[in-house]
Amino acid sequence: MNLPVFEVFTQAREGKPFEQGGSIVAPDAEMAILYAREFYGRRQESHRIWIVPRESIVEINDPDLLHPPAVDRSYRTVGGYSVRDTLRATRGAVAGSTQPD
Amino acid sequence: MLEKLTLTPLHTLLLALADDEFILGYRNSEWTGIAPMLEEDVAFSSMAQDEIGHARLMYEMLAAETGISADKIAYARQPEEFLSCRLMEHRKLDWAHAIARQFLYDTADHVRLDALSRSAYTPLANASEKILREEKYHLMHGDMWLNRLATLSTDSRKRLLDALDVLWPDALGVFEELPGEAELVDAGILPEPSSALQAEWLSQLAPYFERFDLPFPAEMDEQTGLYRPTMEPVYGGRRGKHTEEFTELWEEMTSVYRLDPEAVW
Repeated sequence: MNLPVFEVFTQAREGKPFEQGGSIVAPDAEMAILYAREFYGRRQESHRIWIVPRESIVEINDPDLLHPPAVDRSYRTVGGYSVRDTLRATRGAVAGSTQPD
Repeated sequence: MLEKLTLTPLHTLLLALADDEFILGYRNSEWTGIAPMLEEDVAFSSMAQDEIGHARLMYEMLAAETGISADKIAYARQPEEFLSCRLMEHRKLDWAHAIARQFLYDTADHVRLDALSRSAYTPLANASEKILREEKYHLMHGDMWLNRLATLSTDSRKRLLDALDVLWPDALGVFEELPGEAELVDAGILPEPSSALQAEWLSQLAPYFERFDLPFPAEMDEQTGLYRPTMEPVYGGRRGKHTEEFTELWEEMTSVYRLDPEAVW
């Protein structure tokens, strides 16, 4: 028997993000509802459950896309800029001036 | 061993309800570890636990009425003191049989609980309401499986038909009149007599069985508009008459208890 796999995502409370609970095997989506409830909902741990056929999930795992090679791209992130001197100068200037009420 | 209980009609009702759930729960637990797939194994075992939990609720009500503990009531009676219906007695056959039995029982139990949620005996009315909510899952499960067995392959359909052949007379027996029933109905403890519950159950099942072209041993009486069985139901369970298969089950499920009835767990 080669049955489809469904990934199950659970939301613990209204407004919370969905987290992957795990996966189940079921002959079809309707039966997947039965088993998802049993595995991820019977202890009142879920407010809502999403069931997604694994084959419907689009995946990216290409390291060239997700962890680009060692070209300096630090200018794209805050950490790439040294603001230490500017900060110190500004703080000094502010401390020396009279604070407005 | 427990001294034979002197049963009032209320005791009889509670015992019949509890014993049905208790025995079915035991029978279904025979599938634990060997159900058709892992997911189903967990689901069916969990449903078996639900039934035992419902039995416990009813035994505890009876314990409050009689001062005898729920465990004693469950395990210290002799086989002929059990009031479960015959439907529960069949030993494990194949999966279609297990599903068909669960379906026939759950749908019948649903009609019974629906009536009991209006019982004048408040503890039972409250418990029935709670159980009904848990039964929603059982009904979904039964519907999905029965539907698939009936339509997916000629083999699955044949197995289902064979199972229904064996089960129908016993399923009709779920609504055997209880000893002392008239008194329960008068007092509003059992809001509808068993015969009316059976008619209601059959009327709910009729369109379903027609849709899947499955055998349905009942028809509507033109004059009263009520469904009634066209085959002889198997009665006796409510009066403690059981089959050899039940005695075997009783031996097994009470074996640990009987080793030392006074043991503290």
